Amino acid sequence: MESSVKAQQWLIGIFSVLLIVTLIIVAGVEMKQTTSDKPHIEVDAKSKQCITCHEKQNIAVKQIDAWKESQHAVMGIGCTECHSANEDDFDAFKCTQSDVLVARHPTPKDCQECHEKEVAEFANSKHAHQFWIFANADRAIFENPISTRHGCEQCHQISNVWPDGSVGECDVCHAKHSYSMEVARQPETCGECHIGPDHPHIEIYNESKHGNIFKAKGASWDMNYNTTNNEPIPIEAPVCVTCHMDGNETQPMTHDVSARLGMESQSPWSYRPVWDEENSGTWQDKRARMEAICASCHAPDFYEVYLLTADLVNLQYNEIRREFVYWTKKLTANGTIDQIEANGKKISNVVVNGWDETPEDMMYHAWHHEGRRFRHGAQMMGADFTQWHGIWDLQQSLMELYRWAAEHGDAEAKRWVNSNHPSKFVPYKLFDIPGSAWGISAVVNTTPFVYKAYPDYWDRIKANVETAYNEGWLSKDQWDLWMERYENLDHYQGTKYTDDVKDLMDMYKQRNAKDTEAFTKQAVKLKLPGKEFYKK
Amino acid sequence: MSKKEWFKERFPIDYEKFVEINENIFMKEPIPNHMKKWWFCSGATPLIFFMIQVLTGVMLAFYFIPSPEMAYESVRHITQDVRMGFWIRGIHRWGSSLMIIALLLHITRVYFTGGYRKPREINWVIGVILFLLTLVFSFTGYSLLNNQLAYWATTVGTNMFKEIPLIGGFVLDVIRGGEDVTANTLTRFFTLHVMLLPILMIIVTAAHIIILRVHGVSEPEGFEKGHYSFYPHHFYKIVIISLFSICLMSTLTVIFPPGLGAPADPSVTPLHIKPEWYFFPVFRFLKLVPLLVGIACSAAFVIGMMFWPFIEPLLSKNKETQARFSHFVGALALLFTLTLTVWEMFFA
Repeated sequence: MESSVKAQQWLIGIFSVLLIVTLIIVAGVEMKQTTSDKPHIEVDAKSKQCITCHEKQNIAVKQIDAWKESQHAVMGIGCTECHSANEDDFDAFKCTQSDVLVARHPTPKDCQECHEKEVAEFANSKHAHQFWIFANADRAIFENPISTRHGCEQCHQISNVWPDGSVGECDVCHAKHSYSMEVARQPETCGECHIGPDHPHIEIYNESKHGNIFKAKGASWDMNYNTTNNEPIPIEAPVCVTCHMDGNETQPMTHDVSARLGMESQSPWSYRPVWDEENSGTWQDKRARMEAICASCHAPDFYEVYLLTADLVNLQYNEIRREFVYWTKKLTANGTIDQIEANGKKISNVVVNGWDETPEDMMYHAWHHEGRRFRHGAQMMGADFTQWHGIWDLQQSLMELYRWAAEHGDAEAKRWVNSNHPSKFVPYKLFDIPGSAWGISAVVNTTPFVYKAYPDYWDRIKANVETAYNEGWLSKDQWDLWMERYENLDHYQGTKYTDDVKDLMDMYKQRNAKDTEAFTKQAVKLKLPGKEFYKK
Repeated sequence: MSKKEWFKERFPIDYEKFVEINENIFMKEPIPNHMKKWWFCSGATPLIFFMIQVLTGVMLAFYFIPSPEMAYESVRHITQDVRMGFWIRGIHRWGSSLMIIALLLHITRVYFTGGYRKPREINWVIGVILFLLTLVFSFTGYSLLNNQLAYWATTVGTNMFKEIPLIGGFVLDVIRGGEDVTANTLTRFFTLHVMLLPILMIIVTAAHIIILRVHGVSEPEGFEKGHYSFYPHHFYKIVIISLFSICLMSTLTVIFPPGLGAPADPSVTPLHIKPEWYFFPVFRFLKLVPLLVGIACSAAFVIGMMFWPFIEPLLSKNKETQARFSHFVGALALLFTLTLTVWEMFFA
């Protein structure tokens, strides 16, 4: 009996300890898994072989670590799914350790095995467009080929045409091998290419209210959100892809970055886009898509005025460009400047590039640099880029062109140089809109010379805007919106309220006078006793 | 008028008798000497855990919203925003695990000491029912989180009912409130978890304790005969176990806080769906054999366990042989379930 009791005690003791220890460990490990974001990874034997060998030989191990963080790893997609190759594939090479045929460059053709919709959308977008090859085949005479290898070609890899017939490079945005949505969504990802003097989109974004909010709060946002289920945009302010790609309640997510672009504004002339019209629809369809995204955060009366104003900036740009084209054509025709040529063939283009003479240089920059900054700043809330890096530089280039033409004997340009009238800075037609999207100002529209000097100013503008509408540049809604403002000019221009704020303005004028007096006394009238070092 | 008199006027019961009954039933409950050893006190621990679950559960219900849109978000709110929310949730979550461990310990103790034998067979059956109720409690509980794991574990878990011959489809419909796991399933599980199951649990636990009291605690042979009173020795033992349990749960909550996982997404089936650890043995077993065989074997295991007090005497007339055989079967069953659990956790 004693032995039976002992047996019972031993059994209970052993199993109690075993149960407590084992099961608490099991429950603890399981609990830990609920807080861990480390995925559970299972891949095929061949991929396991690649990973083991790569890790052992220390070849591209970080890429494997990145892959382990990816959804691919979670879904059991290993190396072979993307890197398998056939003997005659352009990028096939034999792994030196295993005799396995490996594809060096997985292309969109490989990606589309699973991501068919995304690859098709991408191929329909301007990201896949070869425009830089068509328009600038001769540019390597100015920028020598070795420079373009790690210059133009790196960014334009996004539209690479592969020997297997596929177009594009997915990992330009989806950094391999984690393919993290979070990384793809970072404005800096777009900013790898959309940066610099020719299209400073990341700089414009950083300057915008959108970018500012992102900078302040974005670090705590989960940028891995899913956007394919017609759900609200989950972040407070948009990043680049939010407007150009992500879905919301009404818009599907798309990899066609052109699907929402209602204005072509990177080319030498702005125009309403006809890109992929058969599938994507008219510019108005594209604009409606963008507006549906704007509507997630803004009221229509804001974004409609904002976008109409941006459209009018593009129309204005065309009028300024018309000047540059007129002058380069005229100066080329009369032999003041000439085109680059070799073997009897003209290589440069009168209205696009030339590089060796000032008017050509001015014209090129007026399109490719400041002309884009002017337009893109207006489209993406980059006020400084519309103003100082935009219209200011555009005007400077135009004036320099006039001066150069005058110095080279052009009578029309000489007349311009000798003119003292303010209108000399507006040798082109104008677009405008009464007031702005930002609100009503009681004073800001009281100063412009053109408002004061030309009683028929708004009639001239109206005629231009009406023509733009009649020519299909503006929609009926935009025209109505413009007319509503035109018919209530005093209200939107704020001049109706100028007298109401007279006392307030007087107070500021007095402060200004005091300031002027202060700097006159402190700076202008300051006389120093020490002698100059250079005799004038 | 004294307070006591005021009270007696409003509740005209025989106060002296009430005190006497209380003394006899609770305070002076005769506790056999062998229960001075700690591992013979495992019966009270599941009850302690159940009470902690009720308390923390009520607090969680203040914030929890049982709808597919809000369930996950409200649990996130409890865990991340509500003051001490993660602690309450952690205790509730760990309480479920520890309650099952405590039950397993209790079952192990009762089984190896033969506490289920005549005339206590019915109480063993009731005890097994309590264990099953606890498992249903846990299953309905973690489904409420409505994260990816909960959603798919619910889908896979309830799918098994479809395999029941003839009535499978109907049962599945009743459990899910339709063909799929939807808002109906969530509200059903919520109602079960916070209303029906607690009431059942209290009734069955009461029956378990009443039968225990009527028979008295079974006394294994080989110990010094004799009894001592419930109060104060055993009462303090229970208080110590309760306090230790809360400390243990708090410590575990801090070391292993409950996570949230990804919100449920019916359109994305995760590659690796696993139930909570206490279902690992069944889950592992189902993966090893064809589904129907697995379900039949699991059902046979439960039925065998439940009716073991009636099966045992059929195997041999000799008490010694019975005991040896039962010890062997019990040890084998425990090792088997533990092995399957560890296998599924660490090697699957």
